[in-house]
Amino acid sequence: MWQLNPLTLKRWHRFKSIRRGYYSYLALMALLLLALMAELLSNHRPLLIQYQDQIFLPTYGAILPGTTFGFDYEYETDYRELNARFKSGEIEGRMLMPPIPWGPLESDLVDDDFPPHAPSLARRHYLGTDGAGRDVLSRLLYGFRTAMGFSLTLLVATYSIGVAIGCIMGYVGGKFDLLFQRVIEIWSNVPFLYVIMIVASILPPGYWTLVLIMVFFEWTGITWYMRTATYKESSRDYVMAARALGASHSRIIFRHILPNSVSTLITFVPFAIAGGITSLTALDYLGFGLQPPAPSWGELLQQGTEDLDSAWIVSSVVGAMTLVLMLVTWIGEAVREAFDPRKFSYYE
Amino acid sequence: MNKFAVLFLMVFALPTLGSAPAVSGVSALPEQLPPDLVWETNLDDPIYASPNAVRGGMYRGFLGSFPLTLRRVGPDSNSGISPYLRGLALGTTGLHPNTLRPIPHLATHWAYGSDGVSIYFKLDPGARWSDGPPVTADDYLFTLEFMRSPYIVGPWYKDHYTNVILDVKKYGSHIIGVLGSAPKTPAEMHYLYGLQPVPRHFHKLDENWVRDYNWKIEPVTGPYHITDIRKGKYIEFRRIDDWWGDNKRYFKYRFNMDRVLLKVVRTANTAWQYFTKGELESFGLVLPQLWHKKARGEIFDNNYVVRYKFYNDVPRPAFGIYLNEDDPILADKRVRYAIAHAMNIELVLEKILRNDYERLQTMHEGFGDYSNTSIKARPFDLSKANTYLDEAGWRERGGDGIRLKDGERLSLRVTYAQPHHTVRLVVLQEEARKAGIELRLQLLDGATAFKQVHQKRHQLAWFGWAGGGMSPVFWEFFHSDQAHIPQTNNITNTDNPEMDRLIDRYRASTSEAERKILAITLEQMVHDQGSLIPTFKIPYIRGAYWRWVKLPPAHGTRSSDVLFEPMPYSFGGGEGGPDIGGLFWYDAAEKQRTLDARDRGIKLDNMDWVDETWRVN
Repeated sequence: MWQLNPLTLKRWHRFKSIRRGYYSYLALMALLLLALMAELLSNHRPLLIQYQDQIFLPTYGAILPGTTFGFDYEYETDYRELNARFKSGEIEGRMLMPPIPWGPLESDLVDDDFPPHAPSLARRHYLGTDGAGRDVLSRLLYGFRTAMGFSLTLLVATYSIGVAIGCIMGYVGGKFDLLFQRVIEIWSNVPFLYVIMIVASILPPGYWTLVLIMVFFEWTGITWYMRTATYKESSRDYVMAARALGASHSRIIFRHILPNSVSTLITFVPFAIAGGITSLTALDYLGFGLQPPAPSWGELLQQGTEDLDSAWIVSSVVGAMTLVLMLVTWIGEAVREAFDPRKFSYYE
Repeated sequence: MNKFAVLFLMVFALPTLGSAPAVSGVSALPEQLPPDLVWETNLDDPIYASPNAVRGGMYRGFLGSFPLTLRRVGPDSNSGISPYLRGLALGTTGLHPNTLRPIPHLATHWAYGSDGVSIYFKLDPGARWSDGPPVTADDYLFTLEFMRSPYIVGPWYKDHYTNVILDVKKYGSHIIGVLGSAPKTPAEMHYLYGLQPVPRHFHKLDENWVRDYNWKIEPVTGPYHITDIRKGKYIEFRRIDDWWGDNKRYFKYRFNMDRVLLKVVRTANTAWQYFTKGELESFGLVLPQLWHKKARGEIFDNNYVVRYKFYNDVPRPAFGIYLNEDDPILADKRVRYAIAHAMNIELVLEKILRNDYERLQTMHEGFGDYSNTSIKARPFDLSKANTYLDEAGWRERGGDGIRLKDGERLSLRVTYAQPHHTVRLVVLQEEARKAGIELRLQLLDGATAFKQVHQKRHQLAWFGWAGGGMSPVFWEFFHSDQAHIPQTNNITNTDNPEMDRLIDRYRASTSEAERKILAITLEQMVHDQGSLIPTFKIPYIRGAYWRWVKLPPAHGTRSSDVLFEPMPYSFGGGEGGPDIGGLFWYDAAEKQRTLDARDRGIKLDNMDWVDETWRVN
């Protein structure tokens, strides 16, 4: 790939010096890291069990049937029950639960109260539960992972297509360019939401179908910028020189034009990520998104707005969304400033 | 929202009900009135309105959106006011809501033809249209002409008045005969072959009818007519001053409000605000979160409004999980039984639905003697589920605890259409894992879900058929004629020769006693088939109303699916069913007292009530 040339290094330093953007970046990375290890933070399975001189690490992998611990059932051990027995001394052993001892799909159906349950430190529902008694914080965490994953997949896919087509448009020019300009104009006028609704009525939406549909409509956005950037670069002297030296088209595009137009792309990345998250949330909110019971912010938002009396649901998810979108926007601003060509490009 | 789901399904379910092919050969109505007819009437059943009722006052209700037309049939005619329009178009007879026997409406007497498929009506000579002219036999002949006309663009009606009602004949200005398509018991004949007249003098049928009559106010035979509309805002009905039916036995003391104002209020939340301000007289609170969380505050604490819970005894919508027997996994009866035992409906009832709903035991509850009350739905029982699955060869368990057979996972798709039911399904999902069954939830929008299920491409369908009718229907849901082909209502693909035989007998029989015995046997067979897991029922209606609305001592009737309908209203908002509207009245002095008390913040006596008269078991 591209080496860190002095220009890139300068840009990185410039980015680091923009405090708000840099700290937002660190915070977002930290959140991503937490989300990646969500199973260790929020799970109905313990992190560690010590039972009869045996150590179990049940977090990942197959379930431990109840028979492992002397229960008479073959389905997954009820760890809460097991913990209670450990504590009462009925069974010898110890266990270490994650900080949030609830899985994202697990309903907590307590006696003498009906879900949604209010936030409670005692039951370790730090942000309360939703209408099915599932822990809101846990669902936020897992939902964030899904949303980020979705957003990044979408980003890679749309950029690959958009950059490729935009680049060819700018480089080849002529009729190809003209034709694709018209195609893209028509494409970007297709009402996206209607298509989603129609598609959802034919095949049930899932993670990959959603990615596919979104890519189908979102790749056009970046083509314009790429086309312009390629046009601009390909008429520069160094491209002429490379061509005169006998460089192939692919070498010119990949070695010369792309690296030089990357600054245009990078500035859009954070906003594209924010866009991806909001799209998925909006689709889930409208019911055209991921299939339940997948943890999702949109679904939480929908529950929250329907049940405003249980304010902890809606405020948690709105808070989380605001935080993440703010971080991403701050990063975006900083990136844009760091990559501003007026600071680092020199024109003759 | 439950109600919406039911209504939605009903729209789809009715056409197939109507187009069921005839069982017997078709006869014709005789040229002359048969001399041996035995004319019957029914003036002996108890009246169910209160003689204490007083006339006067205005009832304010709300519509979710303004109707797109005032026509009773044709495009866009299924709207918030269509139950009222259908109710005001009285038919030949109604059903007594407590005894379920026919009672006179526009016909005073009736007689059954010896062929088992015809019924004759003597019309009330006093009946008049709201614009003056008397109702005569010609208006009933016109019903057939009108409903069959291509100009009204009403496919369901066209089908019903062509394939269910075959002919109508006039035997004098006030006697008609109706020919139906299949033999029915007398009570069912009234329900299926009864007619609503259509005013011949009002309609001009041509290709412009749909457009020309879109906002025309059709004359009615009922006690109210539309006097004012403001599009997008409200519709006002007024009581007809000297209504022809005022002194009839079953109409007396009913329909007491002078005016009925139906205002457009877009959302239930806003309507609730109107209600708490005293600008709506009543509000339904069936949903647990409304009843337990919303119904609080000063107007409740100080008893300005009355909270009620009224148990009724009506055919219950058949909410359940429908298993597709054509699916290779579900073809095994033991697997079906196991799934039934792995569904922790009891837990959902207790923890999510606050025990407000009850377990539905069979698909055929609420049909009186037709219902087999000895059947109980299979309870949550993991050991039974495990035994059945072991027997069926699903012995191994995978790393995730899901059972395996020859490498295939016991993973089943549940199709459903109501987003707010997700909370119920996730609980079932988690519990079913314990038996080693994986449920994959597939939430689709209503029309898509219905399509998938109707094409029999589902595995498990979380579904409900609207209740209604006089007796259970088996043919369309369980007969092999309807199995294995798309677009029929046998969505379990039940195909059982023994059941077919009994269903055919049940359909052909005109003896109520025999049909009851057959129905009870068939319900047991449906239970044994195991392709339907009944889920929930709501055996009551509940809500709140302001103190100044007064109800009869019995509050409602056995068939009341709603208490506060000021105008004629047939059970379920349909046609020809139990006649339950207009029982309450308005007490002006009580209103003054209530409003004064509210202004001064005084607490009044508690009038909340629960009526269990019609509670079953």
